[in-house]
Amino acid sequence: MIEAGTKAPQFELSDHLGRKVNLKQFAGRRHVMLLFYPLDFTPT
Amino acid sequence: MERLQARFLQANTQVLGVSVDSVYCHANWGRDLGGISFPLLADFHPKGEVAGRYGLYLPDAGITDRATVIIDAAGVVRHASSVTPSGERDIEALAALCEGVNREHGQALQPVQKIPGVSNEAVLYVKSSCGFSRAALLARDNLHLQQQITVKNVTEDPSAMAQLKQLIGKEQAPCLVLDGKPILESAIIIQQLVSRAAPL
Repeated sequence: MIEAGTKAPQFELSDHLGRKVNLKQFAGRRHVMLLFYPLDFTPT
Repeated sequence: MERLQARFLQANTQVLGVSVDSVYCHANWGRDLGGISFPLLADFHPKGEVAGRYGLYLPDAGITDRATVIIDAAGVVRHASSVTPSGERDIEALAALCEGVNREHGQALQPVQKIPGVSNEAVLYVKSSCGFSRAALLARDNLHLQQQITVKNVTEDPSAMAQLKQLIGKEQAPCLVLDGKPILESAIIIQQLVSRAAPL
């Protein structure tokens, strides 16, 4: 698992509405919380 | 998660879900949950690549660990934890962590923009058995816009078809009427709805 204090790896993925979302677009604007899910239909 | 959304917004934090399912599965999941207020990202092709970069892909099982990573606005990882695939996240505790990151780091950030929203008079004309109509309907559900957008099915309702023809001079659906103006093409309709209801 990635460690606190390291630079976050970049990514660009499509979301459920078909938008491209990448980490860069939040730089300097917003913090980001990534919730990794094992599979869909398994909330929390 | 949904009820804590306001706290994350306050803490200038964008929540993003990530799993190895396709965008198509995500769209349906969002609908089954009654709409979700954060984007779900498909780490699907190549499978689990982004999770792998974060050291969270479990190749033997072909799934992602149930893990959470908080990244500050400077792009530095501030927190990473796993509750294992069968565990349950403590969203309350994560909200507190995001608030902590924001206290240290949030002063220079622009406040979260006001969301323009969709007025209550919006109407979405759709056809039965039409993939483009279905896509527009799915976006309406996923963006929690069921209250704001009235749906009229022109295949089932001749008076709706007459209205549509009067509006745009042809029988083309889906058609979204937003602020009195008709918008055609599902991709453009979805883009409009997203930019008004869930801008990133």
